[in-house]
Amino acid sequence: MPSIKLQSSDDEIFDTNIEIAKCSGTIRTMLEDCGMEDDENAIVPLPNVNSTILRKVLTWATYHKDDPQPTEDDESKEKRTDDITSWDADFLKVDQGTLFELILAANYLDIKGLLELTCKTVANMIKGKTPEDIRKTFNIKKDFTPAEEEQVRKENEWCEEK
Amino acid sequence: MAFISKDFRSPGEAWVKTDEGWERKKVLECGGKRKRHSSEGSCPEATTSSSSSSSEREEEQEEGCMPPHYHITIRCTREIAGFNGLSEAVKRLDFRRSVRDRKRFHYICAFLLLVSNKGIASLPGSAQRQLLQMVEEVASHVNDSQQHPNVLRGLALKLEQIVNQENQKCWGKPLGSTYLWQEHMARIKRIQRVASQIEIREPDPEARPKLHELPEECVREIILCIADHRDLESAAEAWETMAKLVSEQRIWRELTRFHFNQRQISTILDLDKIKQMGETKDWKQIYHQLRRTYGVNDDYQFAEVLALCRSCCCLFWPSDGHPCIIDQSPDYKQRVQEAGGQLALAQPVPPAQFLKYFSL
Repeated sequence: MPSIKLQSSDDEIFDTNIEIAKCSGTIRTMLEDCGMEDDENAIVPLPNVNSTILRKVLTWATYHKDDPQPTEDDESKEKRTDDITSWDADFLKVDQGTLFELILAANYLDIKGLLELTCKTVANMIKGKTPEDIRKTFNIKKDFTPAEEEQVRKENEWCEEK
Repeated sequence: MAFISKDFRSPGEAWVKTDEGWERKKVLECGGKRKRHSSEGSCPEATTSSSSSSSEREEEQEEGCMPPHYHITIRCTREIAGFNGLSEAVKRLDFRRSVRDRKRFHYICAFLLLVSNKGIASLPGSAQRQLLQMVEEVASHVNDSQQHPNVLRGLALKLEQIVNQENQKCWGKPLGSTYLWQEHMARIKRIQRVASQIEIREPDPEARPKLHELPEECVREIILCIADHRDLESAAEAWETMAKLVSEQRIWRELTRFHFNQRQISTILDLDKIKQMGETKDWKQIYHQLRRTYGVNDDYQFAEVLALCRSCCCLFWPSDGHPCIIDQSPDYKQRVQEAGGQLALAQPVPPAQFLKYFSL
């Protein structure tokens, strides 16, 4: 089976099946545009992804390699967030730092499925919480002054009345 | 225990002692299947097994584990109303353990809220006890997972109303068994304590990157996963970047398209008030106008909905399946096919519909 070498930001080389690597839009375009597909020894540098995260991304891609391709329909985006399979849920039992790094990696590598999954997971952490709870969940320091906060509340006030 | 059975050939009942007295065993058949279900995917044999071992496993399944299901009388009349027992159905369909299932959580909570709205006092004692046990399960699950605290707060508030109501039923005292009521009160107090004390655990402050360090396009992806305008507003209040992104037209336009169909949207767009906006439309205002006119249907949030099999009148969870008469008797299957009927049609049963099967 043809394989490809991926190089993480900390210079670790991952020997990967080319079909698995191609779930990433970025790598796919790179291979097609540069005609690297036939070259066995070509190394694809991924300067924005470190080896820990790349290993996780490849684990995910290997498990999901037979998934159907997501459709390009952007407007009718799926808003259900609790239809995460148990494998994916276990896969994402990581600390917040790793979770956000996975989002960054999925965004950079253009892996739709992984980006959707990680974003859903974060959305689940936001849902049903008060602003104070949300701030605590993500350790966000308050950056509104009380006056600004009052203004945001006022802006949203009108839609609550029936 | 007295042996009372529907069928004299049945093996009889099994009783177990619990903290709250003796209970008849009802869902002993569904334990194994659920366990297998939860380990799905993480089991290394699943991918490497040869055909012989997989057939062995199938046999195993057939022997020991029956997925949770409940036969139901659909056209309920007064004479046979008693045939469908709510507490029996809830037990057989494994509701209590389903609370911890991510896909079923919202369904169960919607069901609990509907039942509590009707007032639990009119239910039989054992059903009351079960429902409160389920709410307690919800409380502990929310506390563990730190997700959906609003659902728990809503339920706790409802319980408080019920307590206030019940306490005045009979000369300032609740009606019915005093012991049962004491037990309920103790449980409701526990639930309310959990609901009021939910403490959001803060993540490690050293962990990098943080949510507010993500680029806007990633945060936008996250916001696009949120389907409730109240969550959007809380998020906007929480932090500045989020407030900026939530005020974008695209977020509200997609939210509107998600909840309402084209016909409803065009009706609202024809209103004078909206027409005055001219070319640049305020989709947030359009959304709220639509919401007030048509209401938002909450059914979208159920990842798994209980299903009713039309062939055997059996309620079951689609992910677990059920033993169906179509699969068990080829004769019947053939007759249905000859009659031109459709095979294995299952219709979804939303929580409100589920409650209608019982005379409450």
